[in-house]
Amino acid sequence: MIKIKDVSFSYEGNPKNALTNVTLEAARGDFLGIIGQSGAGKSTLTRVINGLVPHYYDGVFSGDAAVGGRATLESSPEELARSVGSLFQDIEGQLFASVVDDEVLFGLENFGVPRDEIESRVEYALAAAGISDLRTRAISTLSGGQKQKVAIAAITALKPEIMVLDEPTGELDPQSSRRVFETLRELNEKHGVTIVVVEQKIMMLCEFVSRLAVMNGGRLILEGPVASVLKNAEKLEDAGVNIPRVTTLALRLREHGLYDGEPPANIPEAARMMRTAVHASL
Amino acid sequence: MKSFLDYVPGDSALHRLNPLTKLALAFGLCTSCFLTRNHALVVGVMLLNLFQAAIAGVLDRSLKMLSALVKLSVVLFLAQLFFVREGRILLALPFGLYITDAGLSFSLLFVLRLVAATMPLAMMLSITRMSDISNALVRGTGIPYKYAFVLTTAIRLIPLFADEMAEIMEAQIARGVEFDTKNFFKKLRLILPLCVPLLISSVRKIEDGAISAELRGFNLRNRNSGYKRYPFGVGDAAVLALCALVMAASVMI
Repeated sequence: MIKIKDVSFSYEGNPKNALTNVTLEAARGDFLGIIGQSGAGKSTLTRVINGLVPHYYDGVFSGDAAVGGRATLESSPEELARSVGSLFQDIEGQLFASVVDDEVLFGLENFGVPRDEIESRVEYALAAAGISDLRTRAISTLSGGQKQKVAIAAITALKPEIMVLDEPTGELDPQSSRRVFETLRELNEKHGVTIVVVEQKIMMLCEFVSRLAVMNGGRLILEGPVASVLKNAEKLEDAGVNIPRVTTLALRLREHGLYDGEPPANIPEAARMMRTAVHASL
Repeated sequence: MKSFLDYVPGDSALHRLNPLTKLALAFGLCTSCFLTRNHALVVGVMLLNLFQAAIAGVLDRSLKMLSALVKLSVVLFLAQLFFVREGRILLALPFGLYITDAGLSFSLLFVLRLVAATMPLAMMLSITRMSDISNALVRGTGIPYKYAFVLTTAIRLIPLFADEMAEIMEAQIARGVEFDTKNFFKKLRLILPLCVPLLISSVRKIEDGAISAELRGFNLRNRNSGYKRYPFGVGDAAVLALCALVMAASVMI
């Protein structure tokens, strides 16, 4: 679905590479989380996927990037947008209509979706984002989390195969952030959308995504299933990523020979680990 | 943050009018206010506005706006009053100031016009969806979508800028800047330097918005892209007739 091979990029007017030799692949149906400090190249990586780099942002690009079988260098971001939906941190800036259903209509109208299909697409998108009940509400009366879901619905209506989200919960409180992620999980599991999401909240990210990519200084330093990435405590610390405490605990227990499994990814697994450790120490 | 330009959903007869009719009505009423020299007619337009607001269920908002405008008007009225030196002197004041009948009449007309002409557009915006305005404009008048979009985006950005400004001001207040001063000129001097950060953050915001619109196929849009149709009905004809009547009256009276 996404094939990025040996991509380097530096923005115009800045000799420092924003990305250096990044190679990343994501298969259909993946839920990939990207994490790292600010300035690590996370946003630039998402811009490579939706084609904004190098089409919108000028600079020096090398390497190969293909999304949905299309080389990003040869297709405009608009063409790519038919298979890649993009969402940004700034919630207000990406909403254009006064009412929720108009917002969803905007993209459908632009891409010339046939008239008889439009109504069903609007309903599908609102249902997929879990906001069918907000359909006729004025956008200005919604909360931040609800607005971000409207933005998600507006993208979902275009039926993208891939969704790229650059810190979609950056302006949201923890609870609204979770709801946004629950919506993404639903899109991923039920509708098979491949999702790439940049996120700072590591605990939440680990809970929802299936794969994790860690960026540091423009390089991709770790990539793989969540559990295997979390094992690399030192590299994560170098990248400025706080690993979940339960992972630290698992690694410590393993050092002391009290536990030999994978670091737990959820609460039941953590409980199992604790039980094992307690038994082992008795 | 709620703004007085935000759309208020509803299903009143006014909400259901063709967006172009609403636009024409708003501009028609504004123009009438400036065409006429008759105080009563301007007051009539004002009342008509309030009547519309009542039908559309946004009366409380209109009254709030009216009271804000009236406060502003008092200041403007007083400022204007002393500048007209013609006419019969009604009241002589020290420092060579005096109030004349012409001055009184002119100043009154001036502020009445201001109040009555401000309301129709704000009223129109609170009962018409942004996308309906731009789509109906594109369909009905044939202007390119880009221009219609610029118009609606400009309106949409006003509350966003206000939010942004409030945020910047709060940040400055937190650092001890005295924005709550009663002295208007002092306040102005404090606010002016904030225009730069406001401009920068706004430009950034607009840039993000532009990217987002383009990724949703903004450039592919053409005149026939709009999904909704905006037929003209009996109601539209009646409203346009009323509007024409008011305009005719404003020219003749």
